[in-house]
Amino acid sequence: MSTFDNPFDVAQKPAKRCGCSCGQHSTQGEHDAAATRAKAEAEFVATAGEEQRARRVVEAGVMRALFPNPVQRRAFLKAVGATTAAAALAQVFPVMTAADALAAGGTPEKKDLKVGFIPITCATPIIMAHPMGFYGKQGLNVEVVKTAGWAVIRDKTLNKEYDAAHMLSPMPLAISLGLGSTAVPFTVPAIENVNGQAITLAMKHKDNRDPKNWKGMKFAIPFDYSMHNYLLRYYLAEHGLDPDKDVQLRSVPPPEMVANLRADNIDGFLAPDNICQRAVFDGVGFNHILSKEIWDGHPCCAFAASKAFVTEAPNAYGALLRAIIEAAAFASKADNRKQIADAIAPANYLNAPVTVLEQVLTGTYADGLGNVKKDPNRVTFDPFPWESFAVWMLTQMKRWGQLKGDVDYQGIAKEVFLQTDAVRLMKEAGLTPPEASTKTFAVMGKTFDPAKPEDYLASFAIKRSS
Amino acid sequence: MQDRYISIEGISRAYPAPGGGVTTIFDDLWLGVARGEFVAVIGHSGCGKTTVLNILAGLDVPSSGVVVVDGKAIEGPSLDRAVIFQSHALLPWKSALGNVAYAVASRWPKWSRGEVSAKAMAAIRLVGLEHAAERRPAELSGGMKQRVGIARALSIDPKILLMDEPFSALDALTRGTLQDEVRNICVETGQTVFMITHDVDEAIYLADKIVLMTNGPGARIAEIVVNPLPDGRTRNDVHRHPAYYPLRNHIIDFLVTRSKSFDGELAAGRPWDARNPPLVNPVAPERAPLAPVPVPAGPSGEAVEAGPVLTQAQRRRTT
Amino acid sequence: MTKPIDLRAGAVSLLILVTFLLAWHLTVSGGSGVQKMDPEYAKLMGITTTQGKSAMPGPLDVGATLWGHLKDPFYVRGTNDVGLGLQLGHSILRVMAGYLLAMAVAIPLGFLIGMSPLMSRALDPFIQVLKPISPLAWMPLALYTIKDSGASAIFVIFICSVWPMLINTAFGVANVRKEWINVARTLEVGTFRKAFTVILPAAAPTIVTGMRISIGIAWLVIVAAEMLVGGTGIGYFVWNEWNNLSITNVITAILVIGVVGMLLDQLLARLGRLVTFPE
Repeated sequence: MSTFDNPFDVAQKPAKRCGCSCGQHSTQGEHDAAATRAKAEAEFVATAGEEQRARRVVEAGVMRALFPNPVQRRAFLKAVGATTAAAALAQVFPVMTAADALAAGGTPEKKDLKVGFIPITCATPIIMAHPMGFYGKQGLNVEVVKTAGWAVIRDKTLNKEYDAAHMLSPMPLAISLGLGSTAVPFTVPAIENVNGQAITLAMKHKDNRDPKNWKGMKFAIPFDYSMHNYLLRYYLAEHGLDPDKDVQLRSVPPPEMVANLRADNIDGFLAPDNICQRAVFDGVGFNHILSKEIWDGHPCCAFAASKAFVTEAPNAYGALLRAIIEAAAFASKADNRKQIADAIAPANYLNAPVTVLEQVLTGTYADGLGNVKKDPNRVTFDPFPWESFAVWMLTQMKRWGQLKGDVDYQGIAKEVFLQTDAVRLMKEAGLTPPEASTKTFAVMGKTFDPAKPEDYLASFAIKRSS
Repeated sequence: MQDRYISIEGISRAYPAPGGGVTTIFDDLWLGVARGEFVAVIGHSGCGKTTVLNILAGLDVPSSGVVVVDGKAIEGPSLDRAVIFQSHALLPWKSALGNVAYAVASRWPKWSRGEVSAKAMAAIRLVGLEHAAERRPAELSGGMKQRVGIARALSIDPKILLMDEPFSALDALTRGTLQDEVRNICVETGQTVFMITHDVDEAIYLADKIVLMTNGPGARIAEIVVNPLPDGRTRNDVHRHPAYYPLRNHIIDFLVTRSKSFDGELAAGRPWDARNPPLVNPVAPERAPLAPVPVPAGPSGEAVEAGPVLTQAQRRRTT
Repeated sequence: MTKPIDLRAGAVSLLILVTFLLAWHLTVSGGSGVQKMDPEYAKLMGITTTQGKSAMPGPLDVGATLWGHLKDPFYVRGTNDVGLGLQLGHSILRVMAGYLLAMAVAIPLGFLIGMSPLMSRALDPFIQVLKPISPLAWMPLALYTIKDSGASAIFVIFICSVWPMLINTAFGVANVRKEWINVARTLEVGTFRKAFTVILPAAAPTIVTGMRISIGIAWLVIVAAEMLVGGTGIGYFVWNEWNNLSITNVITAILVIGVVGMLLDQLLARLGRLVTFPE
């Protein structure tokens, strides 16, 4: 449980807690003293719109201080009701004073943070937050560090060289489960982008568009624990091809994908953008389909942090997450996309031609076959980390044999995908979080019910697990 | 009993033979060397004479027996016993002076740089190399290198000089010059010297006593030949001395035949005591008027018990 | 006699270079036929498709890029974009750190192995097994155990440069001429003084040869290691430009890597000449 779990939430699972609300100080008194010291600084940052959320944060802190034991807290809330509890608290505790101090969400435990990213457009919110000042606005000095590959970004985040990182959204699940690394509890506080991938084929396949004829072809995916892997497998399986038997799938770092396609080592790839558009730009391949044609609204990459960071530096984490969510909110508006493309193109960030980035972000793109296509939702930015996304990923992990035995789908999803935090922070960022707590969706016309993952899994003809 | 400054007492050297068993290179060697004496050991390759020298130097240990020097058993190398190596063994990264200075600094570690350098230079001067002191070994001729080796050995004022075929790698002319120099230095300083050689003329010219070793394996000291030539001998006239050829013939006879047949002689009943190898003067007293000590030896070179023999140094003192 | 030979060799070198550059230029400048395409579409495509320009840059492109880097080698435009000079500096510092660490371990250990037949035999199986491992194979293990990518890169440099130095030191020490050792022994020189005054200078040429092999390997490996770990360094630069499919910059980096590697090698060669003695 993170500090940003709503302490007024009765349904919360119990977890250990001691000291103050931020976990940084040994007593709440110390915490408050520190908070008062931060007041002057915070007043600069505070704006009218932020006061409301700050008050909520402080109320939460007070609530926690009064009832450090979550079991007791829940008992109290059950007895009197959340609204009553908040009102009662306001009577006995000068919440408003503390709220002023904490207008920015509490002083970050550390201001100098390192966030790793892979140079693809999925990382847009993480990257753009740097040149466009979203981190600075939260009082953070964030260094965004370009990283060479998914395994490296995983290891560097596990090693605490990075405080948080851009990951493929199934990676935090895999890390938490100890798949492909030691098991370390990881979290997905926010999804970075939705859609934003494509199946790109070599030019020689421009007349070979029916997947049923793709037997024996070689495809590259960025990583085993990636939506790219699951979506490509899903797509192939839906067309009757067994991805483990009828085709070859290779993990290839994104920059090597275009080179390999040019060298004719692979027939195509399901890759994150801008790689797909880059292949088109260089005349090496064409976009067969966008991934949104498989599943419109699928999550792609995630903003990930270790559970340890979330609990040990909750204020820094909160500030960081607010920056990401606000960046995502900014990026979600189509009008801003050109500006973002310019901001993230330099060598310090994506190091890619602006033309390519614009095509990806605006959705007006060359398909590689001589047509200009328009699809404003080619990539969108919706930070909400639906737990049902995690459940779907877990079903695919099990489907393809990455995960074996009984899986506590809902439990793992809840632990890793911090939906609750996102709700609150999205509200603070002026975004509208979804009303529903679960999301059902359809992948290639097949509806997924997150409540019945095993049934869903059983419905597939092509799979590894029984 | 004579003064035994160096006393080799029953040393042997054996190693496991390839087919099992033990090969003994030499066995039960006994030899005394008096202070100021110049002793040369001569014998064929494989008789273990270099091993004997290495044991004396403390670089090697005998399989059994001990070597006592000045009343103390040898327990390793010592600065009191300087070695002149057959292959000069100069450190090639140091200059001639540097090589000598290295020895001097080892001998007197507390000396200042200047003292060390002065002492080393004196040694270099002794062998006449002051003009080449700063040259590295690679820039020196074979003879010059060996001169540096000699200077290095002398520079530490050793009590005993051990020389392992010191001139064998040199051309005849250089060898002669160096022999002269070494002889002069040794005569002047009264150095106790133990030299290994297989050059008969060298032994005759330089040594007071010549130790004859039989062939290995199982090499022994067959006899010790006392050099009957006068101290004042020079390389140019040594072969004109009447005692020269009898002496030389005696040694060569030994090397050519008796070094092999000596065991047979023993089996035939020749009296011989390993602890007291016979002292021999190959020149009959009447034919060798210059021989200072009459040694009763038959013309056949038959070994007899020798009386006290004056060493070169003792003789020098008496004259 | 030497001068004319040097002069002629230089002329031949120059001729080869010019021929190569010319051939390179001609090969890549021959544009293939340009397809007719919709101007709207063409705006979205790269020049390789719209102008039929070869994906391979020519020597002039590389020269211009190289000049650009040389003009401003130390700029900093954010964490992920710093000048080539700074990148090289990072790489050299990493190489030096790993290399000096390797020296500190390999030379004393090599002495031990060279001087003690017991240790030589005891350690031999380990050395034989560890030596042939590709240094980059250590990278995941290093990242996992050291938990720091910078230190891991240094470790990889350490592990790749330690073997030639260790083996050469052990060999050099074990093969110091017996007579030189005997000289020291007859002079009653202590073990430490013997090690420094006789064994070290005697084995120095062999040790430096090992060091020269090591620096070459270290420089080879740092590029690969930095491509894996990223962040800073010339290897990261190559990776970053590859990521952008900028072959021009990659070729520029290759040239620079070659020149720096040569300089490092020459440095060690010079050191080698200093410690070599004629016999």
